[in-house]
Amino acid sequence: MNKYFEWDSVSSEILHTPGGVKDTYGADCENKLKVQYAVRGVLNSYGFRDIQTPTFEYFDVFNKERGTVASKEMFKFFDRGNNTLVLRPDMTPPIARCVAKYYRDEDMQLRLCYIANTFVNTGKYKGKLQEVTQVGAELYNDDSSDADAEMVALTVECLLKSGLTDFQIEVGHADFFCGLVEEAGLSEFEAANLRELIESKNFFGVEDILTNNAAEDKLSVSENLKEIFLKLPEMIGELDEFTEFVKMRSKNERVINALDRLKKVEEIIKVYGFSDYVTMDLSMLSNYSYYTGIIFKAYTYGTGEAVATGGRYDGLAGQFGKDANGIGLAIVIDHLMLAMSRQNLLDNDVIKGIILVYPQEFRAAAIKKAEKMRKEGSFIQLIRKSSHKQADDYKEYAKRMNIEEVLIMESEDKVEKLV
Amino acid sequence: MRDKKYITFALAKGRLAKHTLGLLEKIGITCEEMKDKDTRRLIFVNEELGFKFFLSKATDVPTYVELGAADIGVVGRDTILEEGRKLYEVLDLNFGKCRMCVAGPASAKKQLNNGSLIRVASKYPSIAKDYFYNYKHQTAEIIKLNGSVELAPIVGLSEVIVDIVETGSTLKENGLEVLEEICPLSARMVVNEVSMKMQHERITKLIYDLKKVISE
Repeated sequence: MNKYFEWDSVSSEILHTPGGVKDTYGADCENKLKVQYAVRGVLNSYGFRDIQTPTFEYFDVFNKERGTVASKEMFKFFDRGNNTLVLRPDMTPPIARCVAKYYRDEDMQLRLCYIANTFVNTGKYKGKLQEVTQVGAELYNDDSSDADAEMVALTVECLLKSGLTDFQIEVGHADFFCGLVEEAGLSEFEAANLRELIESKNFFGVEDILTNNAAEDKLSVSENLKEIFLKLPEMIGELDEFTEFVKMRSKNERVINALDRLKKVEEIIKVYGFSDYVTMDLSMLSNYSYYTGIIFKAYTYGTGEAVATGGRYDGLAGQFGKDANGIGLAIVIDHLMLAMSRQNLLDNDVIKGIILVYPQEFRAAAIKKAEKMRKEGSFIQLIRKSSHKQADDYKEYAKRMNIEEVLIMESEDKVEKLV
Repeated sequence: MRDKKYITFALAKGRLAKHTLGLLEKIGITCEEMKDKDTRRLIFVNEELGFKFFLSKATDVPTYVELGAADIGVVGRDTILEEGRKLYEVLDLNFGKCRMCVAGPASAKKQLNNGSLIRVASKYPSIAKDYFYNYKHQTAEIIKLNGSVELAPIVGLSEVIVDIVETGSTLKENGLEVLEEICPLSARMVVNEVSMKMQHERITKLIYDLKKVISE
């Protein structure tokens, strides 16, 4: 007997899925697939071509500067040769690998897109999914601001086509902060410290290590840079205003270039007509060292996490032996579905099915009829009428299965509608 | 659907909550419902201003905020460090001040300095582990306890403890003392990453107003 209640303990154990993974079925599954394909459709319409890579690969493909997930957060196992394998935590490194492998000599645009499940071992009882579906796109061999803006615009369009209406995309630049750190001459440790504080928007902490003389780990930074670091949390929105402020205080080339690039990107997004969905955020940092250019994240109500992320990573393909710049985006479908369900944006009946019940003697007519209706685009479920079931049983069944229409073959050429 | 017109606060039960409500009242955010001591309700609403409040166990506050069930949380820095959740830590509320310390009998000092294996009891295993492994580089056996941690060195469960110290009187009464200081602590306001973006204006104003009240 079970510890808590009387239940067959053997069958209950194999009925469960491990923490962090889940079954998706019924309307949830139909909605998810609909959104997935809608997003893929948008990516295809922008010229991105599908690619599939293995679910597991060698650990080294994702490790260190090539990945976005810490080693201890990957699901690892060994092959027979005792190599470490991991379930892919992220799709960008495998695609960089493919680009280096299959398009070694291509020096013009490469556009690839994918639908893939990714796996992150976040630990127990954290309330987070460990397997999520991502639909994403990677654009290689184009380092223009046009490519940057197109990827942001593409993210907007993907979210709109999936049915989301109320969302914001924040765009920052990885080099902005790196340039400031470079100019301030901070050590790696100091920079990491500062980054962590800014990352968690802990600006009293930033103020503390910049201005408070009593603080043990005080940084020695010029007044001009101090002012920039302290103003970072406010640098969201009006790019022109901050640009002036920063340019008066910093002469670092990377900082200036980052600002100029963001300005161009902002202008081009305007051409796409998506300015309302996009906000520039200079305080945005990336915790992944592989981002080298613009970075962006999409937020909406109803979920505590970003529904889409992206950015430019010009060094990644180089890790695999091809000198190519790249920029990518990924829509996290599971986060998006959660937000959409909380915003009541999902249909209960994505697929409007029809049941066609036929007595044995009208089988040929029923199969023919079903074939005809399927060609017309209907979703037909055939059931041979059982002698143990009455018309009401089929009606009840349809209700349970969320199917609106039940038809029954009355004769060779007569179909009656039950529901 | 969580209505976007509300901003939801998760407050750590007890002194912190009381103090926080006092601060919020100073900037014009009140919740009359919450002042009723006999109420058994779990969530309180100020319809007019669009705020919701609930009380939860301190250790759960970072969870509510990280997963977006609450937009804003108020909780001690000890809990934030221990839980290690992804949050925006936007404001030092400047109350509930104390220190995270290594404490024990004076005789344990030796073991803290010679790098030998040491047993450490704590309600904060993550903080203890991080301090001993990554900062002190000393191998430690961390023993998680749920309360009255001071007992551990007295009854010989561990050599030292890692715990919050406010005045140090409990330690003194039991023949223990602060051996090393890990970090200062105080109450913090934390914000969910998405809320910070989606409700940027309201939350920024709130932070700004609170900052003014605190520095007064």
